[in-house]
Amino acid sequence: MSLNQKSLKMLGCFFLALTIITPGLSTAQDGNKLLKQVDENLLPPSFEAYRKIINEEPDGSKKEYIFYTVKKDRDKVAMLYLSPASEKGRATLRLGDNMWLFIPNVGKPIRITSMQSVVGGVFNNADIMRLDYSVEYDATILETSAAETILDLQAKTKTVAYDKLKMWVDNKRTTVTRVECFAASGTLIKTLEFKQIKDFGKGVVRPAVIETTSPLYQGFRSIMIYSRVTLRKFPDEVFTLDYLSRLGELR
Amino acid sequence: MRRWHDEALSRTVIALGLLLACGISATSFAQDYDFDIPEEEEKRIEFSGNLDAKWGLLRANMDSPIYGLQFSQTPAKDDYLSQYRLDFYLNGEYRHQQVGFTLKTFYQYVKEEPLPPSIFELHGSLNLSHRSTAGIGKRRFNWGKGYAFNPVGYVNAQKDPENPDLALAGKTSAYFNYNRSFGDKPLQNLSLSSIVLAPEAEVNNKFAAADDIAVAAKLYFLYRNIDIDFMTLQANNLPTRYGLDFAANLLSNLEIHGEFSYARREDQVIVENNSAVVKMRNGGSYLFGLRYLSALNTTLIAEYYHNNAGLTQNEFVGILDHLDGSLLTEDAAAIASARNSLPTFFQSRNLMRDYLYVKLSRPEPFSWLYTSVSVFTIYNLVDNSFLLSPQFGYKPFTNSEILLWPTLFFGGDDTEYGAKQFQHRVEVWLRFFF
Repeated sequence: MSLNQKSLKMLGCFFLALTIITPGLSTAQDGNKLLKQVDENLLPPSFEAYRKIINEEPDGSKKEYIFYTVKKDRDKVAMLYLSPASEKGRATLRLGDNMWLFIPNVGKPIRITSMQSVVGGVFNNADIMRLDYSVEYDATILETSAAETILDLQAKTKTVAYDKLKMWVDNKRTTVTRVECFAASGTLIKTLEFKQIKDFGKGVVRPAVIETTSPLYQGFRSIMIYSRVTLRKFPDEVFTLDYLSRLGELR
Repeated sequence: MRRWHDEALSRTVIALGLLLACGISATSFAQDYDFDIPEEEEKRIEFSGNLDAKWGLLRANMDSPIYGLQFSQTPAKDDYLSQYRLDFYLNGEYRHQQVGFTLKTFYQYVKEEPLPPSIFELHGSLNLSHRSTAGIGKRRFNWGKGYAFNPVGYVNAQKDPENPDLALAGKTSAYFNYNRSFGDKPLQNLSLSSIVLAPEAEVNNKFAAADDIAVAAKLYFLYRNIDIDFMTLQANNLPTRYGLDFAANLLSNLEIHGEFSYARREDQVIVENNSAVVKMRNGGSYLFGLRYLSALNTTLIAEYYHNNAGLTQNEFVGILDHLDGSLLTEDAAAIASARNSLPTFFQSRNLMRDYLYVKLSRPEPFSWLYTSVSVFTIYNLVDNSFLLSPQFGYKPFTNSEILLWPTLFFGGDDTEYGAKQFQHRVEVWLRFFF
């Protein structure tokens, strides 16, 4: 075999390897790019909003909570309970993987875990104080069609509430329509359905309703409803332990 | 022609019916997903609070000298006693722009007699900026990361480890807080709290020695996802204290925390040669704890606490022997004197040196709606006595709660929990929030 033939063969192998690897890389790049667009369309970078959570029990009875929420950047969320009276004044703060709960009677914030549920029902703390998906997950495209794309999301760290997510994205609006949350074992923990696209003004168009069910809580259903999502800038100090007892002043 | 009219009429009816149905469904959808946001009222005092109606059944510990002294004036002693009381918390809050006012009061009704309020908190505050606040009055502070115990809680009200979430009275003080964030840098947040504590008015019930003013300060950092505090208390008539604490989430379901405190001139009343003496101690107290959430939605809180100022077993037995000896004299004056000394000996809720606190709690066990169950133990590692307290909660309606709360004390006659004035206690709480 001449030197030229050898070189040609090596070049051929290189291009073959490149054609095998490149689609994988581009799927991951496309997936993460799409996930960032989903995040941007879901919530603006800095805003305030009111949310209601309805926990429906198997017997049909309901428990309701109303929160005032503020968010800044991709990983700062603070939340104040407005009703019912038994919970009023409680506040929670999330900074990345850190979460705290402030109870007025106790008078100091205590660290809590993201898997706990402060309000009960199917939503846990990580669901209620969710960060941008792209902060916590790496995405790859599983399937794509004219109407929708299915993303596979893998947690970046072990401190994330769910190890894996499967996300359905509406291609026309680049909006999430459904998310399935899985444990490391592959067990389906819960399903979130994003419904009722609503124009909140100033370019904020997003699903107003998130319904959650879980095979672990048969017959239970939790619904989160967004209202008055307003663009607003906050100083960083709003997202600190010292400020938790003062959140109500922002309203 | 008539047939055409009939068809047109029927089509119109169907169209109207469809429109109406759409209208109804749209209306019902709007009803489903609309809600009223509680408005923030300007310039109004907002009241809130709760009423706890409590009924308790208590089994007396006849062998305990503490029981003997407490009930020495009771003619007939019963094995079982019951108690009915109403605990009423009434809070008021006013805020207008930078100025705030807080009032928290507590009333306890046990029998028909004048009901003076306890002022838990009464303070005014100024929000100078997003970064700084100042205030003056009676305010509750809560330092430390521990759930049941806080060795660095220098400015805290004395916490009851049997009910750490209870509202408590604050301290008369003036304070200033400065709070600064640094974005996404390793040091994310820093805050400084400085407090000047007024001494209790003991001179003619109106004045206090100016030298007894205490100063406390706490520096907080959020550094690489770890909460870290350094704190100190400086006063003439109180032990000088230095401390630190930390807390961090190791996993999405595991949190750890710890506290360490060094104190100089910490006093403890003990008995030597059958008389009460004050012993001064220097040294460190510490706490390590964790909070873990299992896959079965059960939360575990576990804490180990070493209390440097706590009593040794011999010192505790010495106090019990002293109290017992007073009872045996059957001399009214000696008994009264010993009874009056009880608050001196037992002023701390964490009397002895080493404790283990473990609590397990689970919401809605066995899919029982609106219920919660928990059980906790406080184990005295010095004398191997302990209390065990299961709790069953039920929230039948929004803003209401029922609690069934038994507490059982175990230990020998000369141990902390074995010598409590009651052997067992069962309480039923009915709670109403507004």
